[in-house]
Amino acid sequence: MSKNTIVSQGRVGTQSANFKSYMRRYGTLYLLLILPVIFFLVFRYIPMAWILGAFKENNIFKAPWELAWAKNNGFEWFVKAFNDRTFINALRNTITLNLLDLVCGFPAPILLALMLNELTFKRFKKITQTVLYMPHFLSWIIISGLALRLLASNDGLINILYKRIVGNADASIPFMSNNNWWVGTYVVLGIWKEAGWGTIIYLAALTSISPELYEAAAVDGAGRFKRIWHVTLPGLRPTIITLLIMNLGRILGSEFDRPLALSNKLVTDVSQVISIYVYQNGLKANKFALTTAVGLFQSVVGVLFLIAANQLAKRFGERGIM
Amino acid sequence: MKKLLTLVLALAMLLSVCAFSASAEELVDGKFAETKHITVEIYNRNNDGGTDPTNNVYTDYIKAGMLEKYNVEVEFVSIGRWTEVDDMNTALAAGDAPDVCVTYSYPTIQSYADMGGIINLNDIGGKPLEEYKDLLPNLWNLLGDTNIFWDQDPDTGNLWAVEATLADNARINTFIRKDWLDKLGLELPTTEEEFYNCLVAFRDNAETLLGADADKMVPYSTSYDIGWRNDLLFMSYVPEDAKDEDLYINGFDDRHLLYPNYKEGVRVLNKWYNEGLVWKDFAEYASDSSHEDDMMKAGFVGAFQHNWDYPYRGGEDSIQANLQRNVGEDACYIAVDTFVNEAGVHRKFLAPGIDRKVFFPMTNEEPLASLLYLDFISDPETIAFLQLGKEGETYNVVDGGYEKVATTGDYLQNSLNNIDYTITVNGLYLGDATAVTTARGYEKVDPELIMTANAAAKADGRIVETYHVGAITAEQEYGTRLPEFRDSLLNKAVTASVEEFDAAYDQGMDDYLANGGQEIIDERAAKMEQYYGYTAE
Repeated sequence: MSKNTIVSQGRVGTQSANFKSYMRRYGTLYLLLILPVIFFLVFRYIPMAWILGAFKENNIFKAPWELAWAKNNGFEWFVKAFNDRTFINALRNTITLNLLDLVCGFPAPILLALMLNELTFKRFKKITQTVLYMPHFLSWIIISGLALRLLASNDGLINILYKRIVGNADASIPFMSNNNWWVGTYVVLGIWKEAGWGTIIYLAALTSISPELYEAAAVDGAGRFKRIWHVTLPGLRPTIITLLIMNLGRILGSEFDRPLALSNKLVTDVSQVISIYVYQNGLKANKFALTTAVGLFQSVVGVLFLIAANQLAKRFGERGIM
Repeated sequence: MKKLLTLVLALAMLLSVCAFSASAEELVDGKFAETKHITVEIYNRNNDGGTDPTNNVYTDYIKAGMLEKYNVEVEFVSIGRWTEVDDMNTALAAGDAPDVCVTYSYPTIQSYADMGGIINLNDIGGKPLEEYKDLLPNLWNLLGDTNIFWDQDPDTGNLWAVEATLADNARINTFIRKDWLDKLGLELPTTEEEFYNCLVAFRDNAETLLGADADKMVPYSTSYDIGWRNDLLFMSYVPEDAKDEDLYINGFDDRHLLYPNYKEGVRVLNKWYNEGLVWKDFAEYASDSSHEDDMMKAGFVGAFQHNWDYPYRGGEDSIQANLQRNVGEDACYIAVDTFVNEAGVHRKFLAPGIDRKVFFPMTNEEPLASLLYLDFISDPETIAFLQLGKEGETYNVVDGGYEKVATTGDYLQNSLNNIDYTITVNGLYLGDATAVTTARGYEKVDPELIMTANAAAKADGRIVETYHVGAITAEQEYGTRLPEFRDSLLNKAVTASVEEFDAAYDQGMDDYLANGGQEIIDERAAKMEQYYGYTAE
């Protein structure tokens, strides 16, 4: 008994000594961590308590725990949202636009990065990269203005040219006014704006691929495409998988300024997404409980997708992100 | 962000003591013994060359006046004019709204009142507002019982806001290019058919009127806000014998969408659209686009409907001034009273005499001082100074009234006639001098044009009775999103082909009704039955 005590005391002694020397060495790093941790606590974790508001009566002037439960065992707002045609529409549009963005927009920066990587003339490569990054820094409001001047059905520049080419003053392509065309415009503008910026992370990953691999492949007689296929792409795979998982986690998330700025009254059937629904109902109509419920639903589905995608990636032998 | 706001709010609620006391006993000879401090909302329009809306000669006047008269310090807090509802929501939710708030949106007030965030004006210091009447002679003179108790709940007596008065209820006009009519030898149109013929003539004579720019010709322009921008056309299809009660029941939408026979008016616009008489791309441009105004300024637009004085507003930058610079001295938009209903009346549905709504949020700890502020701001002397400014600087005395002159100095008014400060009245309120002053109120514009426009906008005006039936729950629920459905329906219907018009309109109307429109109609009808014993037809 007494022996045991001595032993354990000794262990505690060395542990605390270890801890002290450890802290002496790394303490400042922990100090640096304090602010971010406070930030996450105050702005990310404490507010989570207000998620409770999704199950309570609607009142912004009281904290959720002071309020009575909403009807339907607290699920009033969820039931309401799913009985609301506007919400169902918004949900459908969000999924459609995000899936299209994923299918068309996700490969775009990869292809672009591969192409940039093949450029040998350094200066030309640098300039091209800069030009490609530029649109990322424009706000959607500016881009929507540009888009309208270029794509408006009748007095947009492209349609003016189109009319001249086909020689018919009444011909026009309804880029912004027809539902299907509008979705296309939305996706293409998204690619135009973000593809260049998206290449950065891939280009960074490319630098970590050992040149020896390329040399070996060249010696083995691999041409340019073979080298891309067998060296570059496998080298990018972990990055691609990570970004794909993260993108899938945002499948129900929605941008706000992009659909809002590009939309107009003719295409509301396809352009109203969840973020706009939340804005209209929450900020404009003060239905905070309802929109909290919608936000919670979005997050839960997002997390489910994230986990599922991660599991899938692991099953295919990738490392995943969790 | 929302969560953050809630957090801040919760903290604020914990820290602040919500109880307030107000009683006339605090006043000695009508003045507070101890200096009080209140904050007052003021719109910020961010206009080029404008002054700081919270600190300029006009706010100085108000501050000095309030301090001297009541011993109350006034501090102005700016709220974005173009984002007022969003800004106000944020401020209210965060608990830092000004003590005296003003908004155009009653639903905002109602929904915060439902959550306990607004002071009941009939329960200040435990007394109904009526008992403060003697302290507030100017407010009562200006607004009268009608506007003060406009929003009073018929059952509970709760009163969340007082309604400012609308001094001039001119609303919408039809404008047409007088110089084009002259050039083509056409008379001012007096019927829809004549108006249509003018538009056709503009379209067919584009080469004569615009020369090389002929392909830019827009005989008639509108915006995505079809309901507002074509109201006079649509209203000429509403039967003259429609009863006030029914119009009230179907009157939720301020663009009159639910009025009887509205569809036939829209059908006319659809026909015009398909004949190439209407600006083709109107639906694709959003609310903040200046594209349509630019076309008017460049001289490409033949006719349009808009706010009664729209082309004349803005001095040097007005549509009229730009048009004359770009096209020539004789270029001019003139208001015409064209659309006639089946009974031969130029019927226009004007708004009732209410305007902005003034309310006090629960965080207001000085409701009595705030009420006195409303009285001060309703004093004819205060109004006259705020609306006119300084003689020789912003106006000159002319026969029977005043003439405003442009100024860029300290006396510059950020809003037309300082409407943003005179929160209890909208429109010139200068007694007998009002008419002349209105007509001369637009620099660079012939007073004749203004008088014509003002008269045209009000000729045969009809104000539908407002029935005070208390809050309509369905309006709170769906009120903010229905305008979206309305605009979507009207835009699709107008741009549809003539054959598809009915399908587009009916589909859109079904959506509108299914998304809350019908519930509002039903609730209004039920309330009418309950309070006025009226059964809808």
